[in-house]
Amino acid sequence: MRIIAKLDVKPPYVVKPVHFEGWRKIDTPDKLAKKYYDEGADEIFYIDIVASLFQREILYKEFEQTSSKIFIPLAYGGGIRSIENMSKLFHSGADKVVINSYAVQENPQIIFEASQIFGAQAVVVNIEAKRADNKWKCYSDSGRIPSSYELLKWVETIQENGAGEILIQSVDCDGRNRGFDVDLIKSVVENTSVPVVASSGGWSEIHIEELLSTVSPSGLAFASALHYKNLNISKIRSFISGN
Amino acid sequence: MKTVGVIDYGQAGNIYNILRALKQVGASSLVISNNLDFNKVDRIIIPGVGSFPDAIQELKNKELFNPLIEQIQTKPTLGICLGMQILAKIGFEFTKTIGLAHFDAEVKKIQCDEPVPHMGFNKIKVVKPSKLIEGIENEDFYFMHSYEVVNYENIISLSSYGGHDFVSAIEKNYVYGVQFHPEKSREAGLNLFSNFINI
Repeated sequence: MRIIAKLDVKPPYVVKPVHFEGWRKIDTPDKLAKKYYDEGADEIFYIDIVASLFQREILYKEFEQTSSKIFIPLAYGGGIRSIENMSKLFHSGADKVVINSYAVQENPQIIFEASQIFGAQAVVVNIEAKRADNKWKCYSDSGRIPSSYELLKWVETIQENGAGEILIQSVDCDGRNRGFDVDLIKSVVENTSVPVVASSGGWSEIHIEELLSTVSPSGLAFASALHYKNLNISKIRSFISGN
Repeated sequence: MKTVGVIDYGQAGNIYNILRALKQVGASSLVISNNLDFNKVDRIIIPGVGSFPDAIQELKNKELFNPLIEQIQTKPTLGICLGMQILAKIGFEFTKTIGLAHFDAEVKKIQCDEPVPHMGFNKIKVVKPSKLIEGIENEDFYFMHSYEVVNYENIISLSSYGGHDFVSAIEKNYVYGVQFHPEKSREAGLNLFSNFINI
């Protein structure tokens, strides 16, 4: 199972949002990426969490600083609106692009186009789900803006469009360090045939166990737990393999 | 001085990471974007992000398709991921496409019960020793693919995913292909590039 370090970036810093809000500075993304690379992470997800929200251009140079220090896969997300954006990102060291806001709010077709040109393996769709009654609704712009999509309808749509991977985040659990939204992750894993990376809320071994005793995603992403050193990569890995 | 030419096929190839890995192991490199560039290099790398038909179409648009078939007859060549796949005779991604045809092989969607694309670090099981993987036979390499090369004669190694064995490295007349991404496989991957430039 892949262990992924997720960097929520509000340039020039990695920050830790709580419920995607209330940012706290951690360190610069290039330093943290190198640190988690050295500690043995399988991949790094670099998510500019304000690019879409502020409707700002993608900061390629800043991203390239991070990509130049590591030799493991690096995914970029935040503010992607075109094939040209993606092409520039791949030429700045990205191995995968992570799409949410533009696809879910305006143009799901972008996933299809990206998949055709770059291959499905390079196209990750980030889902920011929030509970509403007993279902989930998909949000964008770091959990701020609701979309018209109900979770499973969106999972079906992106899969039809050739998404190669899903990053599932929970607006309710993100940054709260109280465990994953197990039902949410289970629901996504059971309704797709592409790899799913589970994120949001994983803080301790107990949380990992809670998740893995119910569902087996293809990867686990951690942010706060790593930044605040409650867990480290090798601890997570030995816990998973011993389970 | 050996110079490695890295084929630039338009918006899809992520050549940046391969150039960076080559630099890290002290190799000089050159981006090949037209036929004349081949004169300046004595090794070739075909990178790999994209889809089979797009890659072939881009090579044709840049008038690199036929020159590349000729060049790999005489220069050590390494195809990475999709770069390995397009060395096969035929690809079946989206539609049937004729490849560079160096290997008598077909490229098909991975058939297994696990989620596809296959993503993550994985072992290789060596079938036939090769200089390309000397000293790194027991290391893990990063895979990121939905398609596999189906070949029976030129296999260096197999890897296993979802109970299914697929070809992870091939070799024929100094032309090599790896399904994984050495530029994303830590020290082991860098060692593979070192091995390649010393072949």
